[in-house]
Amino acid sequence: MDISTIIITAGVIGGIAAICSSALALAAHYFAVEENPQIGELEKMLPGINCGACGYAGCSDYAKAIVTEGEAIDRCAPGGGDVLEALSEATGAAVDAFEKTVARVHCAGDADNAQHRHRYNGIMDCHAAHQLAGGDMTCGYGCLGYGSCARVCPVDAIEIKNNLAIVHPDLCIGCKACIASCPRGIISMVPASQKIHVLCSSKDKGPIAKKACQVACIGCRICVKLDEEAFTMDGFLAIRNYDNDVTNPAVVEKCPGKCIVAVGAALEKGEPTCA
Amino acid sequence: MRVTRALRKLRGSIHPQYFKGLTSDRNIVEMPLPEKLYLSMAQHLGAPAKPIVAKGDTVTRGQCIAESAGFISVPVHAPVSGKVIDIDTAPTPSGTMAPRVILETDPENTETVTMPPMPDWNERPQEELLKRIAEAGVAGMGGAGFPTHVKLSPPSDKPINTIIINGAECEPYLTADHRLMVEQGKGIADGIRIMCYILNVKTVFVAIEDNKPEAIKTMQDALENLEGIDATVCILPTEYPQGAEKQQIAITTGREVPSGGLPMDVGCVVENVGTVLAIADAIKKGIPLTQRVTTVTGHIVKNPQNVLAPIGTTYADLVSFCGGLTAPAAKVISGGPMMGMAQPSLAIATTKTTSGLVVLEESRVHIYQAMPCIGCGRCLEACPMNLVPAAISYAVEGGDYDRAESLNILDCIECGCCAFVCPSSRPLVQHFKLAKPKIILKRRQAADAKGAK
Amino acid sequence: MTGYILLIISAVLVNNFVLTRFLGICPFLGVSRKMGTALGMCGAVLFVLTSASAVTWLVYHYFLHPNGLIGADLTYLQTIAFILVIASFVQLVELALKKTMPRLHASLGIFLPLITTNCAVMGVAVLNVQLEYTFSKAVVFGFAAALGFSLALIIFTGLREKIDLAHPPRAFQGVAIALITAGLLSLAFMGFANMVN
Repeated sequence: MDISTIIITAGVIGGIAAICSSALALAAHYFAVEENPQIGELEKMLPGINCGACGYAGCSDYAKAIVTEGEAIDRCAPGGGDVLEALSEATGAAVDAFEKTVARVHCAGDADNAQHRHRYNGIMDCHAAHQLAGGDMTCGYGCLGYGSCARVCPVDAIEIKNNLAIVHPDLCIGCKACIASCPRGIISMVPASQKIHVLCSSKDKGPIAKKACQVACIGCRICVKLDEEAFTMDGFLAIRNYDNDVTNPAVVEKCPGKCIVAVGAALEKGEPTCA
Repeated sequence: MRVTRALRKLRGSIHPQYFKGLTSDRNIVEMPLPEKLYLSMAQHLGAPAKPIVAKGDTVTRGQCIAESAGFISVPVHAPVSGKVIDIDTAPTPSGTMAPRVILETDPENTETVTMPPMPDWNERPQEELLKRIAEAGVAGMGGAGFPTHVKLSPPSDKPINTIIINGAECEPYLTADHRLMVEQGKGIADGIRIMCYILNVKTVFVAIEDNKPEAIKTMQDALENLEGIDATVCILPTEYPQGAEKQQIAITTGREVPSGGLPMDVGCVVENVGTVLAIADAIKKGIPLTQRVTTVTGHIVKNPQNVLAPIGTTYADLVSFCGGLTAPAAKVISGGPMMGMAQPSLAIATTKTTSGLVVLEESRVHIYQAMPCIGCGRCLEACPMNLVPAAISYAVEGGDYDRAESLNILDCIECGCCAFVCPSSRPLVQHFKLAKPKIILKRRQAADAKGAK
Repeated sequence: MTGYILLIISAVLVNNFVLTRFLGICPFLGVSRKMGTALGMCGAVLFVLTSASAVTWLVYHYFLHPNGLIGADLTYLQTIAFILVIASFVQLVELALKKTMPRLHASLGIFLPLITTNCAVMGVAVLNVQLEYTFSKAVVFGFAAALGFSLALIIFTGLREKIDLAHPPRAFQGVAIALITAGLLSLAFMGFANMVN
């Protein structure tokens, strides 16, 4: 092989490359589009699971909204504290300390506890069951247990156990998909650090609630008397005020409806995570 | 007066067993007043009525106890004299929760209040008649309960030229409309004349299935000599679901209601025979709509018959008036077995739209295990709306509501033909019933969001 | 004329790029989840394959062929030259699209870089040379190959959309069932074998 082959080869390839690159360079100059590089940076910081908890179609949409519309940076629940910190650093926006929240089903009426008033043999979907005269349970508020929330959970953190939906707090990423899926509206976000919950949503009067379910809030106000800061009443239903910690753990023992439950204690005893 | 046959065969239809013989030959019987009446405020489509009585008030028969809460809403009147003993929230036969007024009947008090009768209705302005129909609380009695005064006041860009009186009663078991036509032909004819006057229409079709020869004959007689009105009795073959308004328009007039449209888009108004009678009563006698004929039927009802009962009568009262049950009930359906709603208990009370009460025993109720779709396409043939039920139900099952919407799920009339013919026992219509409200809600929210911007 | 029609039938059905030649499998599996994105991909492939056929034909016949401008046999440079030319050409088009037609770029743009040096694109360029097509035949072949790709992708996406709704057993979910489906689809296309050569 003589040297001219190498020179011609190099020349031809080099020539083609030169033509191409100069065309690209010209194009880059003439067709340049202004784009904020920060959007891409922020998108990389977000978890990228496109769960929609922030209210946008996906992580890239949210990143774009932060940069272009000045959207708050604390809307990514699955990202948690780390993402918040990174976003805060990148955008310079100040934020409060991140508190992890998880979904919780405010009902403990499983098949053993709650009464049913009719047989339901339609499709296994909570909305369908709820459409028919408010569900097959005697209690008009409790978990129907047909698993609509479990089906929308992107991380399989919800289990249907004995006709009751249970959110596993350590698996929950806080995307809130289940909240929208519940026709009863009994799933809400609670701080992950809080261990004592009111597991009842029945606004019925005490005797009616008690008749419908063995673990129901009967509106006796004992919890409010014991710990005013952490509990309030909404009609006949005790509501846990998560702004304050429970100072008097005796509420769990004293609750006559057995609907105030300490989650951590049950976990230690090896019981199911719902109670 | 002419007699015609259906212009064409219904596209997509089924032939269930009808069991109409249980009640079709028996006269309508008036029921004695029950002790308590449970009047739901959501007896019609649209905003529930607002109660204007309080607990402890005494009311007189015919008195308005709840006023209409908007244009698409109608008031509710007391069917009996008595006392309001409670106002609470309870499920309606259609499964939604709504406020209801509980009345305790006072058998001593036989007083009745009516609105002034209008024997001279054909000299009064149409608006006055419409106002009266609204005040009398008349809503479609075929099943959906659409407020009648709204149906009879179409927007000026949608002129109406045809009225169709729906006497098809294609649902199995039910014979309430059948008996009404046989026994109240004259009153229905009066209602037709009033409707023609209000809408300024000359063409009327009365659509009746050919399994009711007696009704066809009485309606022919009743429609003789209606001056200025071109009335036609249209005899339809016995097929389900030709009582659905879009189907009925297609086979009587040949007009096709466009997707997402209403009968008025093709110049038609469809009214149930019961509604027509209620219109006549409201105008000529000034009586508000407080009672209706309900078919109480089923093989285990001792004495199945058509009962003229005050609205708000519980199903338990209706059943015991018909002699009770000979075997335990496994399923109770309000309305016909195809489109009616299964009821959670007999404590639910009738409304203006309760056309029937079907009580089924264990051996007639099947609990199906849904199997995978085998792609046989029978639901496509059965669907009267030309939809693809199999594909839509797939999409709903997979949670892909956008896809379901793009497959025109909102055109589904929930007739249940698809689920009826499915060899895999798939809950097709159940899926559509589940998804439709969600899609409508989503559309409304999207429209609201657009409006807010 | 008949030749061109046979060329199109052959490239679309008989020797389908994806299902018979097994070229362009990556986008075939990658963007077949949603019909919207699949259609975007089809548009991008149609454009890139057609124009790449034209460009590479010109480069081959004017620079690399012994009868070209240079006059030396440089055909051994075919692969590297083609990659170079196609990559920069697609980049160029993407830049131009982004500026002039942002709408079209939003729907096609993200797919363009994905397929710059895809095997389907290289395949069409190399086949043009191997089969000694004329310029017009090469362009038609590129277009037809892309049509075949689009046909396969659209059929496959339709199937996958349905499969996604049907809850296959867990072990089969995702790519596993997709590959089985692709295999069956390929078998189906075997039915066209030997119809046209």
